[in-house]
Amino acid sequence: MNLQSLINGLLLGGVYACVGIGFSLVWGVANVINLTHGALIMWGAYVTFWAYRLGGMDPFLSIPLAMAATAALGYVIQRYLVNYVVKIGVFMTLILTFGLQLVLIDSALFAFTGDYRSVTPSYAGAGFEVGGAIIPYIRIAIFGVGLLLTWLLHLFMTHTKTGNAIRATALNKEAAQLVGVNIGQIYAITFALGAALAGAAGAMLSTLFAVTPVMGNPMLGKSFVIACLGGLGNMWGSLVGGLVLGIAETVGAGLIGPAYQQAISFSLLVLILAIRPEGIVGKRFFAEVKT
Amino acid sequence: MTDHPPSAAGTRGDAAAPAWWAPARTALGVPVPLALAVLAVALALPAVTSGYWVRVLSSICMFAAMAQSLNIMAGFMGYADFGNTVFFGLGAYTTAVLTTKAGLPVVPAVVAGALVGVALASLMGLPLLRLRGHYFAIATIGVLEAAREIIANVGLLGGGLGITLPLFPGAPEVFYRIIYYLLLGVLLAYTGIAWWLSRSKFGYALRAIKADEEAAAVMGIATTRYKIRAWRLSAFCTGLVGGIYAYWLNFIEPPMVFDIMISVKVWLIMLLGGAGTVFGPIAGAIILEVLQALIWGQFLRGHVLILGAVITLVVLFMPAGFMDLVRKRFSPRLILADLRANKI
Repeated sequence: MNLQSLINGLLLGGVYACVGIGFSLVWGVANVINLTHGALIMWGAYVTFWAYRLGGMDPFLSIPLAMAATAALGYVIQRYLVNYVVKIGVFMTLILTFGLQLVLIDSALFAFTGDYRSVTPSYAGAGFEVGGAIIPYIRIAIFGVGLLLTWLLHLFMTHTKTGNAIRATALNKEAAQLVGVNIGQIYAITFALGAALAGAAGAMLSTLFAVTPVMGNPMLGKSFVIACLGGLGNMWGSLVGGLVLGIAETVGAGLIGPAYQQAISFSLLVLILAIRPEGIVGKRFFAEVKT
Repeated sequence: MTDHPPSAAGTRGDAAAPAWWAPARTALGVPVPLALAVLAVALALPAVTSGYWVRVLSSICMFAAMAQSLNIMAGFMGYADFGNTVFFGLGAYTTAVLTTKAGLPVVPAVVAGALVGVALASLMGLPLLRLRGHYFAIATIGVLEAAREIIANVGLLGGGLGITLPLFPGAPEVFYRIIYYLLLGVLLAYTGIAWWLSRSKFGYALRAIKADEEAAAVMGIATTRYKIRAWRLSAFCTGLVGGIYAYWLNFIEPPMVFDIMISVKVWLIMLLGGAGTVFGPIAGAIILEVLQALIWGQFLRGHVLILGAVITLVVLFMPAGFMDLVRKRFSPRLILADLRANKI
């Protein structure tokens, strides 16, 4: 294992951290496995793509735009659809969000066709060198934005009334209700936050991968792994989970072969769930893990 | 999960259900004449219909059988198993490999495929069945995806190219009829299992686990043992169908048989028919497959969109299954009242 593959793994981990954090948040707080997460990432990427294509907007500058669009979509999904079935049981929300995912992806296929699109700012492909290893600007920028968003989310959760209500709901929703928290509203806000983070991830992914209606599907799978590795609803946990997954995939691909990248990440998922379901840095009490 | 489903999708007693539909209340759960009539129609139909409809019928039987297999885990025991398709894929692949590479006849190959699934379920049972709710769901999805990726990379198994199975030595018409009656027989057997579950000690243990696992354990039910047994049974049933499917289609590849869409469709069928009921999976499969053949099969584009919309509507308006809607006499007032009652 050389320096370059370690750096590649770390930088890929930064991308994964952005992908996983919103998913983990929604799961941890609202106890909803949001299978629309990948589709929301895709819609965020399309917002950035059209802002770039039509308005010549830099992809990193259109991140807030993508976030706003997916947040609105996410709020509506949770408030007017998912909130009606969360009480019924685990698999209802799974099936519902899967159905919504199909709708979101297929409507993108109708609206934008299945053509591969790309966002290519002038600095795409450029990078700098450190000790013989090449670091692309885009990947380091994504890493930076990921850290920034995680930090902002942390501030929001610890310093605002809404953030405190969200954390209280995650810990114990009955107790939160007793002190006057409107659970339905909190779930919707949390989902909107998760969707906004998905939108941000999508905006940034558009600079790395082709923008297509199905681009979010592999990212949904990664989100499972990142969330379980990091621990649910744990904001810094997603960063840890993303980095571990990024390095495991890069190093594993070097050892066994690049074709096994997906197999490695899903085996890692099954392994972590079997051994330590609360995640690497997670706490047992937080996500109601029982053994 | 600490909170239990309040009303819908539930099987715990199902106090609101009419006696003829609720399991474990009447002799067969359904009036005997109705069951016999449906069976007679199912047996006679291939003689009067064309090849296309025999295919649709076979598909109904296959998905109903898969939903019955899932019903054991999800309907009776309450475990959100989203990755049961892994046993389907393993059954299909084992059958394909044993018939082509080892030259085994089809029947032992299909049975071996089901047994491979049982072995995997036994292996995964202890570590994974400790997990509950979402964690179990995610873990099973992980197993499914990992299995697909691994098999797609193993050259001996055809890799991403897939495997072509030996052809049936005879007329295609005869072959498709054999497959249909085979799948129908399997479905009948699985329905028998569901009926047995609805009234046996084993089934009672599974339903106790669904209602409250701690309480079940306190009452002296060896929960871990029962859960693993249930998963083995479910794996065997799913794997058998997978093997038949491989022989039916003559060609399989990893994305085709390890497809999460199969899981979701089977779930939808089980929910439509009513989870944890004996005949629900059959009703659900008939409704969904006929809808698919008549409505969105007609569209070249957009059938995924329609499927997504159907899923959304089913989950929102009939979380307790189609029969619950019939029970409410399709009254919008009652349906909306239930919807509002479930809102948080």
